[in-house]
Amino acid sequence: MESLPDAVIGHMREVVTEPDFSGSPYRLIGEIGRGGMGVVYLGLDTRLGRRLALKVLRIIDADGQAAERMAEEARILASLEHPGIVPIHDLGTLPDGRIFYAMKFVEGTRLDRYAHGDPLLADRLRVFLRICETVSFAHSQGVIHRDLKPANIMVGQFGEVLVLDWGVAKVTGKAHEPSLTAGTPGYMAPEQVAGATDQLDARSDVYSLGKTLEALLVTYTGQIPKRLQAIWKKASSADRGARYATVLDLAREIERFQIGDRVLAYRETIGERVGRLATRNRTLVLLVAAYLAMRIVLFFLTKP
Amino acid sequence: MNRPVFGLLLGGFLGIFDGLTAWFTPAARAGLLGIVIGSTIKGIITGVCIGYFAKKVHSLGLGIMFGLAVGMFLAFLVALMQHGYYFEIMLPGSLLGAIVGFATQRYKAEAAA
Amino acid sequence: MDADTGIGGPQNRFPETRRSAIIDLRSPDTRSREYALETLIAAYWKPVYKYIRVRWNQSNENAKDLTQTFFARALEKEFFHGYDPAKARFRTYLRVCLDGFLANENKAASRIKRGGDADVVSLHFDDAEEEFRLREIASTEATPEEYFHREWVRNLFTLATEDVKRECKERDQRIQYDVFERYDLNDSAGRPSYNALAAELGITAAAVTNYLAAMRRRFRDRILTRIRETTGSEQEFRDEVRAALGVEV
Repeated sequence: MESLPDAVIGHMREVVTEPDFSGSPYRLIGEIGRGGMGVVYLGLDTRLGRRLALKVLRIIDADGQAAERMAEEARILASLEHPGIVPIHDLGTLPDGRIFYAMKFVEGTRLDRYAHGDPLLADRLRVFLRICETVSFAHSQGVIHRDLKPANIMVGQFGEVLVLDWGVAKVTGKAHEPSLTAGTPGYMAPEQVAGATDQLDARSDVYSLGKTLEALLVTYTGQIPKRLQAIWKKASSADRGARYATVLDLAREIERFQIGDRVLAYRETIGERVGRLATRNRTLVLLVAAYLAMRIVLFFLTKP
Repeated sequence: MNRPVFGLLLGGFLGIFDGLTAWFTPAARAGLLGIVIGSTIKGIITGVCIGYFAKKVHSLGLGIMFGLAVGMFLAFLVALMQHGYYFEIMLPGSLLGAIVGFATQRYKAEAAA
Repeated sequence: MDADTGIGGPQNRFPETRRSAIIDLRSPDTRSREYALETLIAAYWKPVYKYIRVRWNQSNENAKDLTQTFFARALEKEFFHGYDPAKARFRTYLRVCLDGFLANENKAASRIKRGGDADVVSLHFDDAEEEFRLREIASTEATPEEYFHREWVRNLFTLATEDVKRECKERDQRIQYDVFERYDLNDSAGRPSYNALAAELGITAAAVTNYLAAMRRRFRDRILTRIRETTGSEQEFRDEVRAALGVEV
């Protein structure tokens, strides 16, 4: 047989890896991105005429482990109902045996790109607090994400903040745990890197959130307050015990920063404290300064 | 403690302090005690009024302005009694009134026991 | 029951387990070793021939000789036994061996006699030369390595297509293969629409969709099987699939 021409090869490459959704109510439109376990496509629900995202398991799965993992991911997503978590619509199997699940299609910007768009410091913190809310909720349901990073967070077109890719999430207290060294270097807590996957708890997510906060803030063109730097450093301490115990604690710390209160992570000098209180109570400081200034002026005016 | 009481204490304290500044004017140093007492009483009265106002009206801007006005008025009365020094008495008096006005508005009064 | 699933087992498993030819090269059984080498030669002779033509600028005749000599020498001197999957991909290793071999040949500046039973597999050089001529113009931008890679992919896909054709013939699936050939193996200019193809072959458009899906599945399985044959480890297998299909596995 004559060798295939380039055009055919290109075509075959595409069609061979494309999942076949015939027989399902979904139609493929195009590829959106690739994750650790599967590829995400943009699709259409032909019954409702609505776009959605279809995550399909990667081509080969020699021992069924990845398929089970993905089904587990779908179930976790389904059990978490929260504005910050993508709602999942369906779970199914393709004719070729690959598992897929259908979820809401989110249009927006990934956090790393968002950070480069030069938003205000206040906006970045607002976004971060939303992330904390979502993760905290998941923790309250016994789910640890284990792969938090800017690439897995989406800022939607309506300002909503979504935490994606719960593919390596762990449900605490579950007996069987497929052993995976999950996570991304740079955002993985040291205990995760060391592979102690069964000992992970909420604090591993706190670590990743600390690193995410840092990534979110370092692109800020202005001065980053020392107290904020102290917060992300504390959150991403190598020693688990030194971090915030819960994501809620981290969130409260940020809120304290926002209102100008003292922050646990940072030991102020007297001067810094005075400065902070002065900024916080600007009007009062102004009035008192006016009084003192006036007193001095009067003193000099009435000197004989 | 409720706002009128807080206003009273703050006004009195500031009054003492303001009175003591008279020490810097050698001419007035002789009657310092009298000045301080007078200033304190003025402070207490303005403080109570402003505190009471803050209890009824919750507005930072209005509180400051009311404080300014009351402070200025009472200072005017004092200056009248002193037959002079209107400027030197009314100006500080107004400012201190404004400060008490600010403070009583911002003050978080505990729920009445 | 769909003939495609007739072999049994879920669709995402291999229908047969093909052993890796790389591993089989060291098999104590002669038959296994020979078969292994045949497999490797089938996978690589065309890319090797074309590579020699491009990278080493050899004439048609010389390239022919050198290709055959290379594989003969490889069998004789057990070139491929030194291969360690942990260090590099087999494809890269082979190309490096080839480069080494050709450098020596160059130095000697003479064509070495072929050793004994060199023609383990009959190679159709004329076809290869024809294809080479056709593609020579297009390949001028690629580096030799990229060129070798491309030709390897091309050879792989072609062999997989042959496999599909053979299997369809064995199972008397004439129409299925026709659909596949008319649609997927066509370039975009000649590719008909589903409806046109359906009309042409006297089947429904739905049947066209289904047959295409089945053929593509089979094609994919063939590709993966063939890659598995010529790789020595799971990691290398994954890497080569990624290189060939552009996706992760």
